[in-house]
Amino acid sequence: MITVLILALVAGAILFGIGVYGALSQTNLVMIMMGVELILAGALVNLVAFWRFLHPEIYAGQMFVLVVMTVMALEMAVGFGVAIARFRARGSVEMEEAQDLKG
Amino acid sequence: MFAQAFFVAVFGLAAIGFGVAVFSTASMVRSALALLFSQTAVGCMFLALQTEFLGVLQIMMMATEMSIMAIFMVMFMMDPGGLGGMDMTHQKRFSLGAGVLAGGTAVAVALLADWGPVTAQAPDAAMQTRALGMELLGRSMMIFETAGVTILTAMIAATAVAIPVHTLAGNGDKGASE
Amino acid sequence: MNFAVVLLALLGSVWVLAVVEGWTTTGHLRPAAPLLSGLAHLGRESIVPRTPDRVFFEAAPVLLLIVAVLGAAVLPLAPTLVIADLATGALFINAALAYVLVALIMGGWGPNGAYAMIGGWRFLGQLIAYSMLIVMPITAAAMRAESLLNSAIVTSQAGLWNIVYQPLGFVLFFIAATALAFRSPFDLPTAAGELAGGVEAEYTGARLAVLRLARLVLVITLASATTVFYLGGWHGPLLPPWAWSLVKTLTVSSSMLLAGHHLPRIREADLLGWCWKLGIPLALLNIFVVGLLVLVVP
Repeated sequence: MITVLILALVAGAILFGIGVYGALSQTNLVMIMMGVELILAGALVNLVAFWRFLHPEIYAGQMFVLVVMTVMALEMAVGFGVAIARFRARGSVEMEEAQDLKG
Repeated sequence: MFAQAFFVAVFGLAAIGFGVAVFSTASMVRSALALLFSQTAVGCMFLALQTEFLGVLQIMMMATEMSIMAIFMVMFMMDPGGLGGMDMTHQKRFSLGAGVLAGGTAVAVALLADWGPVTAQAPDAAMQTRALGMELLGRSMMIFETAGVTILTAMIAATAVAIPVHTLAGNGDKGASE
Repeated sequence: MNFAVVLLALLGSVWVLAVVEGWTTTGHLRPAAPLLSGLAHLGRESIVPRTPDRVFFEAAPVLLLIVAVLGAAVLPLAPTLVIADLATGALFINAALAYVLVALIMGGWGPNGAYAMIGGWRFLGQLIAYSMLIVMPITAAAMRAESLLNSAIVTSQAGLWNIVYQPLGFVLFFIAATALAFRSPFDLPTAAGELAGGVEAEYTGARLAVLRLARLVLVITLASATTVFYLGGWHGPLLPPWAWSLVKTLTVSSSMLLAGHHLPRIREADLLGWCWKLGIPLALLNIFVVGLLVLVVP
């Protein structure tokens, strides 16, 4: 039983690491958001593993998972809205070009 | 128990493999669909961990979300087919170091911490769904309603940000509204 | 054992539906036509477009078939005749059918052709329209049964079928199911005249046979879901339960084929406008009314 918990936690940790690499190394806004999705997926795996193996009687754990899934969807929606606005204003969503506050 | 360990390991490896494919492939649509299948593998991990409702929910939501991400990639990225051979990364060593540090710390905590007694038996799937419903509309009602209002706010905000400016204001005050 | 029986029933229904489809198109009732045309497809040359995305091109028809069969796996034909009666079965159908979109995006992007790509992305727009209209009526049906188990949803209709209890939900689910199966008037991805076949255009030979089979299995799965959620599943006076399930499924699937036959193809923008401005408020009203009925009527 303890090994399944460790397996799930390690998988979540590696997903988190890949997400951090992606979010920091990519120049395009959409790719950065994909990195953030991977970070949140790693967090979700950890949450579910903790709920299942350490506290299966407290359903607030599953509630937390639902909230994180909601946050994933919402940050994607607002992020793409911002991406559309930026694309209309500047013609690209490359974050390397978005370094000045004005102009 | 061995079956559960096997399936968690298989789906975990699939999720990690697809996750690596997200950032190593040149084609943008392949990248988006690799992320989709990575999230599906995470959903299957939830099913293997006996949280049926969360697993099915993750599989369903991520299919739609990542497909929408695929079309946004085709819209906004310079080389959606991946045949141009461009390199679209920056600060490679720093981000690789940060990723290894973050992932390595989490793995170290997972392996070295003492997690205490582990519960062997999980509640039955039908009972879990019922109990989650009771929790959602009972003790966590405030969180549920806040999430609902937040979703509505995000929908309105995203639509408002995405509407082109020249259809909102008049033609005279272009300079002020940019 | 259950697995083999359900798959056999699925294949038989697909064959009947193909005969009905051939009858509506040509006017002649030819029982052997589906089998012969399937064999003819297998024998034809399999043309691969120039520089396709090979992974997607190969995977799209297979994924569509797997998705349709997975959806049918949680639907009960009789009280014990179901492959996997999952505790969250009503939600699982939705999850499986979301991958129809993934399969069509793969099938659109894979062949590296303009019309296929437009067809694939059009289906994404269609999904934005029908996706809520599939989930909300299922929610209302599960509210009456107080469970997500598909067999519980059927047994809750023993006294009164859901089509009488929640007719608004039935209409919305039927329309959304026709849109999910991309049948006319919602056949935007494979628009025959407009997009020269759209997603189906670049597939030939064995892959086209799999794609067509997958489309028919998808219609049967959705018709079976409509009977489970709204038409009382296996309940009926004289025939054995599985016979009632099959009769209802075939009736619903034939009506899905025939209903849109005389309607013009609906435009993407009109579909989105109608579904979001009229369909979703009606679906919410349906949930509200069903909630009132469940709480107030003993």
